[in-house]
Amino acid sequence: MQETLHISKCSISLYSTEMNILRSFLRLIWLFTLILGSIHSSHILAATQRQVVDKPTIRMTITPRTPQQIAAFYEGREFPKTAINATHSACFFTVGIHNKSKNIIWLDTLRWQLKSNNSNIAIISKKQWATQWQKLNLQTRFQSTFRWTLLPQKLDFYPDEREAGNITIPRQSETFNLTAHFATGVDKRGQSIVLEFKDLQCAQESKQ
Amino acid sequence: MKHFIACLLISIFSTHLMAEPTLPKGIIKVSPRPAPALSLENLDGQTFTMETKTAHWHFVHFWASWCGPCRREMPALQKLIRAIPKEKLKFYIVNTAESEDTVFSFIGSVAPEIDTLLDRDGLTTELWQPRGLPSSYIVDPDGQIEYVVIGGQDWQKPEYQLFLNQLGVNNKAN
Repeated sequence: MQETLHISKCSISLYSTEMNILRSFLRLIWLFTLILGSIHSSHILAATQRQVVDKPTIRMTITPRTPQQIAAFYEGREFPKTAINATHSACFFTVGIHNKSKNIIWLDTLRWQLKSNNSNIAIISKKQWATQWQKLNLQTRFQSTFRWTLLPQKLDFYPDEREAGNITIPRQSETFNLTAHFATGVDKRGQSIVLEFKDLQCAQESKQ
Repeated sequence: MKHFIACLLISIFSTHLMAEPTLPKGIIKVSPRPAPALSLENLDGQTFTMETKTAHWHFVHFWASWCGPCRREMPALQKLIRAIPKEKLKFYIVNTAESEDTVFSFIGSVAPEIDTLLDRDGLTTELWQPRGLPSSYIVDPDGQIEYVVIGGQDWQKPEYQLFLNQLGVNNKAN
């Protein structure tokens, strides 16, 4: 009986040592996963969350939109499925601009540079979208709504004027930088404004 | 003589005021240009056509339910329409390219008194080329666009009331 007890105690002691090692190992794995996860998610957050550049003369925000957000928006406006599917080929970024200066600030997205690994990315123009919609025979009312949700290519921002709209680029996975150049003054001869946005990334479909 | 000078100064001052109303934030004086045509139906199917060579000014406003500032401005716009006599300023509130159902439920919940017009295909909005939504145009009795209103404004604020007074369309001016 005593022997049995001894054996039991011994095996319990052995068992508890193994359990401790296993626990420590699991803790290590958990910690490692946590660290990896946080690095990964902070990387995603850095690239896909809203970025703001706020200067005394201008405030500009860029918000990447997920395909789900875009689909939900246009579905809510009764867009047909074919048109919704067509939006999936592009990345949408909502851009907000506020002229905080006392001068006119000139928006011209053709003067913006979007670069990924030294290759240029072109903003999909309203004309390109119009061509696509015509191919799909999209009703003019939907074409009109879509057009009005895009950021104008050119606009003279008056003092305190705010406008917002989407810019779209072909869908891609790489991060990119955006350099936005603005001319200022009535004759565009004022001091130029240059705003930099780093590590922008298309927002991916969020998993349910 | 003193009276004459005082009268002259008042006359010059008031003429100046008549010619150049004080512009509040968001209202831009533009070089007058003819307003594009506007003839649209409301939710009841009645057609409204903006006529030129009238005795009153015109206020043309473009909006859509998906635009946040449009939503915020609507109640102020409703109060403005209620306060201003139609014989002085006629309002054309134009929804851009949305379905009747969307417009009906939006207006019903935000500003039920507004009798909005429907630009069903968005082509009238294209003709006017607003800078964005919302946008408003103030058109003189001769059909010339005189002022452009950028974005949504709080029309009940004193500076906007003063502007409308100076334009001679506000009740309070008379």
